Amino acid sequence: MNRRTIARLTAAALAVAWSAGAHAAPQSEEEELALAYGDKSFISIASGTRQPIARAPSVATVVTTEDIAAIGAADLDEVLETVPGMHVARTASGYNPIYVMRGIYTQYNPQMLMLVNGIPITSVFVGDRSRVWGGMPVENIARIEVIRGPGSALYGADAFSGVINIITKTAADLDGTKIGLRAGSFNSRDAWVLHGGEWSGFDVAAYLRVGATDGQRRTISRDAATALGTSLAPGPVNLGRDAIDGRIDLARDQWRLRAGYQQRDNVGTAAGAAQALDPKGSNSSKRFSTDLTYQDANFGRDLDVTAQTSYFYLNDRSNLVLYPPGTNFGTGAFTDGVIGNPYKWEHHLRFNLSALYSGLQNHKLHFGTGVQENHLYRIQETKNYTQPVGAPIPLGALVDVTDSAPFLRPHSRNVSHAYVQDEWAFAQDWYLTAGVRRDLYSDFGGTTNPRLALVWETAYNLTSKLLYGRAFRPPSFVELYNINNPVGLGNPNLKPESIESMELAFAWQPASTVQTSLNLFRYQMKDILRFVQNPDNSFTAQNAGRQHGQGIEVELAWEARTNLRLSGNYAQQRSIDETTNQDAGNAPQHHIYARADWRFMPSWTLNTQLNYIAGRKREPTDTRPAIADYRTVDLTLRNQKRSGDWDFAFTVRNLFNADAREPSPAPGLIPNDLPLAPREYRFELSHQL
Amino acid sequence: MFSPTESVYICHARAKGRLAAVLLGVVLLFFTALVVTLPAWAAGEDRIAVIYPDIGEPYRGIFEKIIDGIEDQAGTPVAKYPVQYDTDIGALKSSLYRQNTKVVIALGRQGMKTAAALDRNIWFVVGGVLTVPESEARMQPVISLSPDPALLFARLKVLMPTAKRVFVVYDPGSNGWLMKLAKEAARAQGLELVAHEAHDLRSAVRLYQEIFSVADNRRDALWLPQDSITVDERSILPLVLQASWNQGIAVFSSNSSHVRRGVLFSLYPDNMALGKSLAGLAQGILTSGDYGWRGMMPLRDVQSTINLRTAKHLGLNPGRQQGFDTTFPEQ
Repeated sequence: MNRRTIARLTAAALAVAWSAGAHAAPQSEEEELALAYGDKSFISIASGTRQPIARAPSVATVVTTEDIAAIGAADLDEVLETVPGMHVARTASGYNPIYVMRGIYTQYNPQMLMLVNGIPITSVFVGDRSRVWGGMPVENIARIEVIRGPGSALYGADAFSGVINIITKTAADLDGTKIGLRAGSFNSRDAWVLHGGEWSGFDVAAYLRVGATDGQRRTISRDAATALGTSLAPGPVNLGRDAIDGRIDLARDQWRLRAGYQQRDNVGTAAGAAQALDPKGSNSSKRFSTDLTYQDANFGRDLDVTAQTSYFYLNDRSNLVLYPPGTNFGTGAFTDGVIGNPYKWEHHLRFNLSALYSGLQNHKLHFGTGVQENHLYRIQETKNYTQPVGAPIPLGALVDVTDSAPFLRPHSRNVSHAYVQDEWAFAQDWYLTAGVRRDLYSDFGGTTNPRLALVWETAYNLTSKLLYGRAFRPPSFVELYNINNPVGLGNPNLKPESIESMELAFAWQPASTVQTSLNLFRYQMKDILRFVQNPDNSFTAQNAGRQHGQGIEVELAWEARTNLRLSGNYAQQRSIDETTNQDAGNAPQHHIYARADWRFMPSWTLNTQLNYIAGRKREPTDTRPAIADYRTVDLTLRNQKRSGDWDFAFTVRNLFNADAREPSPAPGLIPNDLPLAPREYRFELSHQL
Repeated sequence: MFSPTESVYICHARAKGRLAAVLLGVVLLFFTALVVTLPAWAAGEDRIAVIYPDIGEPYRGIFEKIIDGIEDQAGTPVAKYPVQYDTDIGALKSSLYRQNTKVVIALGRQGMKTAAALDRNIWFVVGGVLTVPESEARMQPVISLSPDPALLFARLKVLMPTAKRVFVVYDPGSNGWLMKLAKEAARAQGLELVAHEAHDLRSAVRLYQEIFSVADNRRDALWLPQDSITVDERSILPLVLQASWNQGIAVFSSNSSHVRRGVLFSLYPDNMALGKSLAGLAQGILTSGDYGWRGMMPLRDVQSTINLRTAKHLGLNPGRQQGFDTTFPEQ
């Protein structure tokens, strides 16, 4: 043992000698249990399902079901806002989430890959999750893994700015039957039932949730129809919806069969599909997914094999009043308003095979292959206008243009891929992970994406990582094939947009109760897909942009006392649009999240969280002043299992009623941006049967 | 031929008959369920009850899991009594007598205190505590939450076959009983246990200094027992972890949360299995009418956790076949 360590041990002895008397005191029940079972975080891990062994080294955040309950979250987006480097912005149409990671902000947000149990739920239409999203409830989520930065070397398409993997609860996470009710502001109400158990030799988990809300009704003061004199502004955003969610999970030996269903009806148009308030318009969607997975960790000596086939169905239906009744663009009056009713159906079929081989000394090999078909197989559209280049012209009545002039015709895409990755322990405490993946697309061709990660276990409480990765985002069907819409014409000659990223990451535990991390990143985006104006004033999708950025993320978690935990993160980024050499816009340059969890009495916890969004400049083409910063504070009081098996929670979100707004698209047809919810109350009651 | 009135009457009569049959069925079903689910009560059989601390999560969930194991082994639901320091012992006794309770499974420190205050003609077994004074332990069987050293040493030998010597610094007041077992267990595994007594932090630090000055990373390992004096979380543990990392000494612990901090491996209670073991003891007492064996026994119903980062640093290669239940780091 070196002299320094001896000196520190001696100093420690002197420093703590005074407290010896305190240790002689009888231990409390909880202190005694903590010695055997570990701290609370270990108990939650040990009592849950077995954790997966590390995949590729990356900068990741894991949010557990306990975290979700502690912050009183009712929707996935409320959880994701707490992830370092991520901010959830909103689209004008539907207030769909835009998961802004490290300054990468786009309207359809195809650069963020969302997985449910490792399977993408990406729509091939514009590359988002669905045009009619309607939220995702959290009661059935066991944990959420968020990987920051490019991940295409393992995950393929769209793992561009990050990956969100939602792991749903299995029978092992659920013990018996639990029912729950939630009600609160905006006439929001939800009811759900969760069940986990065994049936005829199968481990069974089941979930059903029914919910509805009128949605918050903050005012849009001016909109796209204001200049036309027909606007319904000032008026409220329309965010009502009815929701049904169901999921079943059956497992036996190496086999697992899962199915999920989400239905959204009467989904409001938010600030309007054309950025003009539309209280009459309504959307609905149906999503169904199923997968059959075989996993054998001992398929062969040192060989872990997984085979999976999955199916995903998505149907969106929108009945929209794009501009209010009486609108006249100088091409004739729309007495019923400008009406468009696009419907679409798509399904995806996937088969994947992967293996993990650890039989070679100092190497861990991960390889896989797969095929998929993405098929947008049916389109239906009725509308009361036609739109050559220029303003819409009335057709006089609602016309079915499905066969004559739809916005898109059915298309399909076949993709095959193969990847290999090796984690090589080339010296004590040094690891090099090298991986590469090749994806072959039937429409635009192939793309190859590598990753490299150098990990140094610097000290017992310090890990250092240097990461390089490249990722791609394939053109969506709208970008490839859109027709009859002069503001967004497809281009079949597109190639994918790409990103390269370098990161330096440190994870340090300076004291037993403190965990910290620091990440520094730099990225370069190329061939960004944008709709570029043509000489005839129409717009066509082009690979026409570049953007670079850099920033830092800092995380801190401190067990200040046995009943008090403080945690938080700070993310800073600066992203530059290379065409104009100006800030790329809309993404926060500074994001602070802070949280305190205080167990002030046995079974009673109080959670407080602060979210501060700052430094959002406009897009280069948007001349409006920068978007105002905002800070929101939420409180959740929770009582767990104090009387019988009842849990109770009371949440106040946006306690101080901050005027929080997300940017409306350039150039600012909604000049005062998109208002977020005011102060909101929720009561939640759940019972373990 | 029936008149319309008669046919209506007959219809009513048939309906009444169906109703009576349904009622009879329900009553039969109820009594069948009663007979099936409460055979002990109906027959006046001796019963088992569980007394456990009325505390919050996450520890409440641990006790619920242990009780699940007890009920699984017993094959029937048991009476459950969450207790606090001010629980009315008289009312509890009355309830236990009404239930014809002969054996109580006392969980946790508060559960044990409450059970000890009951009449001597109710037997009790204890679980969910680390250690109890010898004078109290010899009154009844106690399954400790301290993992059996034999299981720890066996796991060490699998991970590190070259291990020959295990150091430990312990407080004899809380872990003296365990060290007696540990010496035997070490011998059985071909290990030498070098156990140092320490009564305070100062002497513990000095002993760790001595251990690290002589330890050889090819053959020596360090065991951290569940001991708040010799394994002080804030001062001792970080320095032990640093010294062991620098010298490549394998450290294993009886406290599973140390694995997340950098200790190589640990064992922690398998609550369901522990519940079954406790119920097995209680059933044995019911059958024999006597305690049979009394005193402290270490925990043999365990799960395992490993820190793969530390394992790699030490040059160990834990295969999946070794079946750790939990692995760290998490990602």
